[in-house]
Amino acid sequence: MAGAVQVQATRERLYPPPAESEGDLYMRSGAALRRLTGAYNALGADVYWIRAIQYFGGTKRRLAAVRGTEPPPMIARDEYTLLYPLLDITTALDPRFNIAYRFGAVFLAEPYPGGPGRPDLAIALLEKGLRDRPDKWEYMEDIGFVHYWYLHDYGAAARWFGRASEVPGAPWWLKSLAATTLAAGGDRQSSRVMWQAIRQSAEVDWLRQDADRRLAQLRALDEMDQLQSVIDAFVQRTGRPPSGWAELVRIRALRGVPLDPSMTPYETSAEGRVRLSTASKLWPLPEEPKRSGVPVP
Amino acid sequence: MSAIAAIAVNTFRESVRDKVLYNLVLFAVLIMGASYLIGQLTAGQDVKIIKDLGLSATAVFGLFIAVFIGIGLVSKEVERRSVYALLAKPIHRYQLVLGKYCGLVLTLTVNVAVMAATFYLVLAYMAYGASPDAVRAWDAPALDPALLKAVALILVELALVTAIAVFFSTFSTPILSAALTFGLYVAGHFSSDLRNFQDVVDSPSAARLARGLYWVLPNLAQFDIKADVVHGQYVPPGYLVMTTVYAAFYIGMLLVASMLVFSRRDFK
Amino acid sequence: MHALVTHELTKDYAVGFWRARQRRALDGLTLDVEAGEVFGFLGPNGAGKTTTLKLLMQLVFPSSGTAEMLGRPLGDLSVKRRIGYLPENPYFYDYLTAEELLTYFAGLFNLRGADRRARVSRLLDEVGIGGERRLQLRKFSKGMLQRVGIAQALLNEPDLVIFDEPMSGLDPLGRRDVRSLILRLRDRGCTVFFSSHVLSDAEALCSRVAILAKGRLRASGRLTDMVPFRASGWELVVAGVSDAAIAALGSRLRHAVRIGEDRFTLDLPLDPPPERVVGELTAAGAHLVSLNPIRQTLEDFFVEQVTS
Repeated sequence: MAGAVQVQATRERLYPPPAESEGDLYMRSGAALRRLTGAYNALGADVYWIRAIQYFGGTKRRLAAVRGTEPPPMIARDEYTLLYPLLDITTALDPRFNIAYRFGAVFLAEPYPGGPGRPDLAIALLEKGLRDRPDKWEYMEDIGFVHYWYLHDYGAAARWFGRASEVPGAPWWLKSLAATTLAAGGDRQSSRVMWQAIRQSAEVDWLRQDADRRLAQLRALDEMDQLQSVIDAFVQRTGRPPSGWAELVRIRALRGVPLDPSMTPYETSAEGRVRLSTASKLWPLPEEPKRSGVPVP
Repeated sequence: MSAIAAIAVNTFRESVRDKVLYNLVLFAVLIMGASYLIGQLTAGQDVKIIKDLGLSATAVFGLFIAVFIGIGLVSKEVERRSVYALLAKPIHRYQLVLGKYCGLVLTLTVNVAVMAATFYLVLAYMAYGASPDAVRAWDAPALDPALLKAVALILVELALVTAIAVFFSTFSTPILSAALTFGLYVAGHFSSDLRNFQDVVDSPSAARLARGLYWVLPNLAQFDIKADVVHGQYVPPGYLVMTTVYAAFYIGMLLVASMLVFSRRDFK
Repeated sequence: MHALVTHELTKDYAVGFWRARQRRALDGLTLDVEAGEVFGFLGPNGAGKTTTLKLLMQLVFPSSGTAEMLGRPLGDLSVKRRIGYLPENPYFYDYLTAEELLTYFAGLFNLRGADRRARVSRLLDEVGIGGERRLQLRKFSKGMLQRVGIAQALLNEPDLVIFDEPMSGLDPLGRRDVRSLILRLRDRGCTVFFSSHVLSDAEALCSRVAILAKGRLRASGRLTDMVPFRASGWELVVAGVSDAAIAALGSRLRHAVRIGEDRFTLDLPLDPPPERVVGELTAAGAHLVSLNPIRQTLEDFFVEQVTS
């Protein structure tokens, strides 16, 4: 036995096995896998679900390790390509796997590098879920929020919230959410209302924590507006941007180095713009195209 | 009647002494190990996964026991010639077949019952440690008694597979019996495809043949209500009764055939 | 009253890949066994002895012909209550102990409770494995298994026992035990029908025999009636005799073989009676070692029948 182990170790040193590529999914056809797993479909779905989570988490961690070295492009590269197929298979094997749809959509819509940034796939997954269970108002609500938050299509979002509110058994606040979205979509306040609604319908801790994070991001945006106005005032007075927070603290414009809701300090750029540290847990902040005047950090 | 019981008890004793029931240890290790590990992996889905795993493992382990012991039940006796001394006693040949069948079904029942108990224990432990939010999110309670419905149908399916294995065992070699039994098991699970063959194939005679086969082959997919139960779907008692009665008829047919074949055999 | 009768009992097996050819394993066997006797069913390997016994026990079905045991035709289940059967090279369930096996089988005769326990225990002692009763059968030697086989055949105190090669696998002590057991059974009034290819056992035990070869009955009847078993001469072994004395016997001696310095085996004809020769030699100082009739043995007869 010891001899065998030694030989194996030596062989691995001399001929290192190829780095295991994550990007291998030999069977992509949900229908074929359904047939293959037969009476054990649900268990197969569980296996693929675990794979999906591991894949998502692993890729996310890997990218976080290289974060901060250069500003990443806004377009997702190919690190997350397998996520949709894995989720597709999971839900094909078990069409009633609720969490696979909801979390799956969240994972898919998440912008790069936290996720593949594919809100279209997120909607596709949720719509697939609705085909099997047309009475799942949670999926409609989720589609609405993808439209709102990632696609900035407030009209579509309001329509989906409205549809959700019409399903018997749906909570009453969906109607007001639909109304608010229609009236003031993109407005930070209506976003806040939406996230609080999501937080309320969250079925598991994970979803609630995600909503909390969003709400924290909104708070950060508010704080950044305030800080920006402090800096702008300084620029007006001195004609030049401040060299850093220390200068502002010295002149008592601020009480201390400002921290974002995740307790990471804000940063200033050389031109005097406030921005969120890329090391912050809240980074990246969501886009707010309807809001004029504040460039995306 | 008492001869059948005596033979059944002896068959049960044989599987116990052949250490078949040690598979329960493997099952327990599997379930408990999985419940420990998957808590880390699955974003709150542990109860669903444990239920899926527990039910599937019960079905799979049971299947292997049913086939591998079933195919040898009769053939082993004949091959080793222990059947000579047994048949010299005042019993009918058919009593031997029935007794052996009942003995294996008894073994399977005990096996499945212990697995169900272990499984409920693990679920109880998980339910005890779960947060109220997690509990709200479950499709069905952790200690859902409906799980027993799934377990019951698994046992019925196993009884049917055992009958198939015993039937082959009365006249065929173990390897061939194993292949045929597994083959029928797989075919039985794909029977729904046969039903809809006409949608896939142009030839009407092929479709008719497929339809005929659908009715004749044992439809095993109907015993699989694992996914329904795990997701909290209601399974009406009428469904349970009908599938069990179907199984009873099919088993009866197989056993009668087995008894006939066995009664006419020359033991060379 | 016959304990066992067969009439033209025949068995053909279909052989070949497509089961096209027939092989006749037993051809028109007709014999009868009287109640209370010990009957030897003899023949070389492959003669059809085991086939016959299996036909009787309904383990195979006859192609033609009939048989009756204890007055009931083949296939009658109730007669199995009064019969005991020992198969050839018996194999029982490995995982059971001797006691458990006998208890199980006794249950099939509807014996229960204390009655069953007592009988099982008695039988185990009677066949000589009382000490190993709690040992698993997988640990039994061939001889011990044979004894278990005999025990299970006697569980129901049968009127007819059918033993297939009862001495197989036994050492001389075992054979002696089985022989005395068979005699005890006979004394109890049980009919013993056993097959064997060991002729000395048959000679010692049987009142009648049948000889089977290549599926056909070659001879049957009383051992003593079978003509060849009459004496054909005498064998005399003497010691302390001189060569000259031997030579003096002349034509009264068929053959002489020296087996020691002054020891000879002499082959004498039937007539004149050997006492005369014995008298002459002892008068000359020899002493008698043994005097035995020369008979064609069952073995010689057997070989003759079987190879014809």
